[in-house]
Amino acid sequence: MSKLERLLNLTAALLDSAVPLTAEQIQRRVTGYPPERSAFRRMFERDKADLREMNVPLTIAPDPDTDPPVDGYLINRSEYVGADVRFEPDELAALHLATNLVRLDGAERGLVKLGGGAADDESQIGLIPFDDLLATLVSAAAGQRAVRFTYSDAERTVEPWRLSFAKGHWYLSGWDRLREDDRLYRVDRLDGPIRDVGKAEHPVTNTSDPGSLRGWELGDSDPVAAVVKIDPDHAAWAHHVFGGVEPSPDGSFVARVQVRNIEAFRSAVITFLDHAEIVSPPAIRDDMVRWLEAQS
Amino acid sequence: MNAKLTARDRMARLLSVIPWVTQHEGAAIDEIERRFDYPRDLLLLDLQEVVFFVGVHPFTPDQLIEVDISDDKVWIRYADWFARPLRLSPEEAAKLLTTARAALQLTDGDDPPDPLTRALTKLGTVLGAQADQAIDVRLGEARAEIIDVIRQAIDRRIRVAIDYYSYGRDEVSHREVDPVRVFSDQGNWYLDAWCHTVGAQRMFRVDRIIGAEAGETPVDESRQAQPASFIAAPGDPRVLLRLDATAKWVTEQYPCESVSHGPDGTLDVRLVVTEIPWLERLLLRLGPAAEITEADPPVSPDLIGAAARRILALYDA
Repeated sequence: MSKLERLLNLTAALLDSAVPLTAEQIQRRVTGYPPERSAFRRMFERDKADLREMNVPLTIAPDPDTDPPVDGYLINRSEYVGADVRFEPDELAALHLATNLVRLDGAERGLVKLGGGAADDESQIGLIPFDDLLATLVSAAAGQRAVRFTYSDAERTVEPWRLSFAKGHWYLSGWDRLREDDRLYRVDRLDGPIRDVGKAEHPVTNTSDPGSLRGWELGDSDPVAAVVKIDPDHAAWAHHVFGGVEPSPDGSFVARVQVRNIEAFRSAVITFLDHAEIVSPPAIRDDMVRWLEAQS
Repeated sequence: MNAKLTARDRMARLLSVIPWVTQHEGAAIDEIERRFDYPRDLLLLDLQEVVFFVGVHPFTPDQLIEVDISDDKVWIRYADWFARPLRLSPEEAAKLLTTARAALQLTDGDDPPDPLTRALTKLGTVLGAQADQAIDVRLGEARAEIIDVIRQAIDRRIRVAIDYYSYGRDEVSHREVDPVRVFSDQGNWYLDAWCHTVGAQRMFRVDRIIGAEAGETPVDESRQAQPASFIAAPGDPRVLLRLDATAKWVTEQYPCESVSHGPDGTLDVRLVVTEIPWLERLLLRLGPAAEITEADPPVSPDLIGAAARRILALYDA
């Protein structure tokens, strides 16, 4: 008897029964399990793990016919079926086309499950990194759940609002309960496990858009206005980096930005080498001078 | 997807295949194979040797699934336990939703893809009430009109003139290119093209293309397009850098030829340096978090000092 057949029999038995089945009943009623008790236990443990891994809603409840109560196993049919979304053929075709354009690890698995076929990876022109931690956050944002995780070595309790992929990174925006403020987090700097800590309560107020946010705008300190002067032949590139430049009377260009993270700002200005200069404020200008002097 | 399916992979497929075939009596084997990415031989084997024996206690004929296969068609009956497929997991729904969102962005401007919009709504119901607000995807920061010019030029097989900012050399140059492919990877758009100006195939960052104009000159069809790559030539200069643990991002941002971890958390990384300004910038940004431990050919020991002084000259008002 193959493992596949045993897993299917186990699932059928648990879906078929209206009451929880005890391990002993499962051993007797499901074909494919060995008669020896410890061998059965080991095999059954692995099978349960496999079913849970596949997102089969296996629950434990006391068997009502036992006294004292013995725990039994059950798969609730309506939980098993879930939202029971039925996709029309043209919708599946559209999702299939989407997976042909965009490569995202694991997206195909869901599509195959819906009967939408495997993707053609020759034609994919977009690549998006994605993992299960991110999926958990998406699910929390969509389902309005609050979560707890570690970020910059500190524990945060956050009501996730939105996951944004911009400039090659995933960002989470949401309400930080401890700081009582909306915040933006780089998902790759966030450490799991992510724990669900109940229903989200704060209304969605955030409008910050990480797509337009630059590295120096991501930080915990208050924003400071800074001005950078740029050589004219670097104006186009500066426009791209700083999100806008204006011509100045002496023929150069200036960019005006709001800085929350001095280190990231310094890095951005250094990429212009000797074609850009921090004009103000003095504190950030001095920081640059000190940084360069240490290396000169 | 590859054909090496584990018992769990096959189980996951069968939980969808069984209800689907139950509803599509006499479904063609070919179609099941395609829809569920189930290699034909394995599918036939699993239906005949496994599903056929699945049932519940006491496994009398009325408690077993019935499978009929004839003329490359399949019938499945009495599989009541598997009348509906297993739900999509939140992870599966989130991944599909993100893919669909990104694809919607790529098809922007074309006909409104109504079926995709409907599919997005349905995937949203799996995730929750706020699903349509939960994900925002940008494949890259490049200007849409430049990507459009390039995509059209690829379709029409014509040459494109671009003004390109070369980050490595820190200058803007005008180039004539035959575009081969445009794609987004890790948040950046790239153009893979034959560059007539340098007489070689090159990879361009689309966000550094300042202007693009397609003319009427057809691309040079005699040129066999090869996939360009970032792989350096053996003769290119290389440096070995010792990085603090805080500078680990370098290994994520740049293709390192080798990375080795020291016992104290430091990293030794080997990088190909094609342009000196690129190295100056990297080291000036890293400051005390990096040092050159080897360079082939050697670089000036004062490379960074001189670069720092050049910038500092701006600050001596």
